[in-house]
Amino acid sequence: MSNPAIIEIEHLTKTFRNAEEPAVNGISFSINRNEIFGLLGPNGAGKTTTISILCGLFPPTSGKVLIDGKDIHTELDSIKNILGIVPQDIALYPTLTARENLAFYGSMYGLYGKSLKDKIEVWLQKLGLKDAANRKVSTYSGGMKRRVNLIAGILHSPKILFLDEPTVGVDVHSRNVIIQHLKEVNASGTTIIYTSHHMEEAEHFCTRVSIIDRGKILTEGTPAELISRNAGSTNLENVFLNLTNRKLRD
Amino acid sequence: MLHKLLATVKKEILLLLRDRVGLAVLFVMPVALILVMTLIQDSAFKSINEKGIPVVFVNNDHDSLGNIIEDGLRRNELVYVSDSIDGKPATAESATKAVSEGKFLLGIVIPKGATAAIRKNVAVLVNETMNGADTTNKQQDSVEVSIIVDPVAKKSFLTTITSNLREFISEVKTKIMFETFSEQIAEVIPDKQNAPKNSYQKSQIIHYKEIYASTATDKIVPNAVQHNVPAWAIFAMFFIAIPLSNSILKEKSEGSVFRLHTMPTPFLLLVNGKVIVYVFVCLIQFALMLCVGKFLLPQLGLPALVLGNSMMGILLLTLATAFAATGFGVTVGTLATTDHQAAIMGSLSILLLSALGGIWVPSYVMPEVMRNISAWSPLNWSLEGFYKLFLRGGNVSDILMESFKLVLFFLGTMAISYIYNLKKRRV
Ligand SMILES: Nc1ncnc2c1ncn2[C@@H]1O[C@H](COP(=O)(O)OP(=O)(O)OP(=O)(O)O)[C@@H](O)[C@H]1O
Ligand SMILES: [Mg+2]
Repeated sequence: MSNPAIIEIEHLTKTFRNAEEPAVNGISFSINRNEIFGLLGPNGAGKTTTISILCGLFPPTSGKVLIDGKDIHTELDSIKNILGIVPQDIALYPTLTARENLAFYGSMYGLYGKSLKDKIEVWLQKLGLKDAANRKVSTYSGGMKRRVNLIAGILHSPKILFLDEPTVGVDVHSRNVIIQHLKEVNASGTTIIYTSHHMEEAEHFCTRVSIIDRGKILTEGTPAELISRNAGSTNLENVFLNLTNRKLRD
Repeated sequence: MLHKLLATVKKEILLLLRDRVGLAVLFVMPVALILVMTLIQDSAFKSINEKGIPVVFVNNDHDSLGNIIEDGLRRNELVYVSDSIDGKPATAESATKAVSEGKFLLGIVIPKGATAAIRKNVAVLVNETMNGADTTNKQQDSVEVSIIVDPVAKKSFLTTITSNLREFISEVKTKIMFETFSEQIAEVIPDKQNAPKNSYQKSQIIHYKEIYASTATDKIVPNAVQHNVPAWAIFAMFFIAIPLSNSILKEKSEGSVFRLHTMPTPFLLLVNGKVIVYVFVCLIQFALMLCVGKFLLPQLGLPALVLGNSMMGILLLTLATAFAATGFGVTVGTLATTDHQAAIMGSLSILLLSALGGIWVPSYVMPEVMRNISAWSPLNWSLEGFYKLFLRGGNVSDILMESFKLVLFFLGTMAISYIYNLKKRRV
């Protein structure tokens, strides 16, 4: 445990099979235990691609990734056990109820029996889904789906939690509730890697952020550091706009 | 691991139960198919029966052989026997002409003195046997019954007719043999003349027939029920490829695969959860189809399905078919990229494989070339197996080959899916 870094990335590159430009272009950084690390960047910057590699969806074209000291190339199977993923796109079975979805995904992470049941109930309660929990997910509003999607990733109390835009389309009230609970999850020992387009939320939520664009890291530091480093910026959004000042993305 | 597998199975069952259309495809469609196809084919069968396949019969013998054959043909529901052509008594020449003109599908000519020839030869044989003479170098009687065939006549029909003829000839031979023997015996032991003769003769003839029948059944053409029930049950089992591939593709489009691929659960386990559920569905389907054949069809005035006598055989073959069908579905779901594609790809390939496999039109009425191709369809392996069980009284050992091929097919499709999946994920 002497190594404070739980994720170490060196020269990570990913070029998709039919793409000309790499989606992730030789990035290196590390994430320490118990951080809430923000991966910020405009559309198509390479955030989801980076997260996908880190959680083993597909291998990188080149580069090295160590998670909890283990190489993702060789020890992916044991790494998967400590990961939790909240994907950007809702990944739930629409014809199953929230409870059934959570029971299935919880089981896939090795939970079962009463402890699985209890955890599901606790989280449904926390995110205000108890009343709707026996309805098919297809009948949910967008924000409700997001919340179930979130629970499915954190039910098993992972050591590392990837959150890919977890609060998109969620109303202000629920957003605050979610962020509050995520802070609790973090306080109980989970390292969080988080992406968002919501700079204000990132500024308050993240302990450290990295702004990336076109697969490269532009800057990195605590939100406060980034703001002070960029003359004339009063918040993270200013910094972000200054650094990624470009037209609409594809 | 077991918890995970159970959770996967539970999830699949729930997904299936919530998919009303899928369920309808799985259970309602095959029942409807069996009913419709059997009723259609049964009536087609009956319309042939009413008129019958036209056969011209020329009886120049006018003795036992000719009469027995004529009798037998007239009793055969499949054929309509005529002994005259355009109002004139048929002769060998006019019959040949009429068949070549397509007026009849078949002509049968019994030569003059056929029975007499048999009788004479038998008499010589019996005499020599009774007197202990050496008969090995004696020429056997040969009775030449001519069959004139219209080239369009189906091979299966021909084999049935020729085997019938052979049976009649043997029957006549046996009968004459016994008559002659009895006369001889009566001469030797006159007081035992009456009592045992007839019963002995009868039992011997029946015995002889039975032996013949067991080889003849090999060529027995199944009736509409015996063909359609297993055929459409197999078809229905393979049709689970549609809902199964759909379920695989939905996971792709609904984003679940993202989670599924990043979970600490082997993807194979997830697929196996599906396989277990769908194999079970296949078994239920098949049981349902058998019930339809056994109980529902008779209510509609059709013959009831005869299951043969090997329950173990049925179970084994059904299980093997179920695995093959499931493997097929997994492959379709893996190769297709959208559920639309899977539905088209799945249904077309099943239609093709079933047509080739003899589901729609039994392969024994197919031309030689097609029959050879047919042997490559897994649906055909299964159907052949069920013919063996249902029609020929086969047991487990008779369908081992079919089951083995089906299981091999399952393993093959799973391997293809697995490899393709690995490749596809290398984006
Ligand atoms: N499966 C794929 N095949 C080919 N190219 C891809 C694939 N996934 C992503 N890309 C490309 O890689 C680049 C980075 O995409 P990525 O999804 O990582 O962006 P992102 O930062 O998550 O964007 P957003 O904020 O819109 O979610 C984009 O140009 C995208 O078109
Ligand atoms: Mg993204």
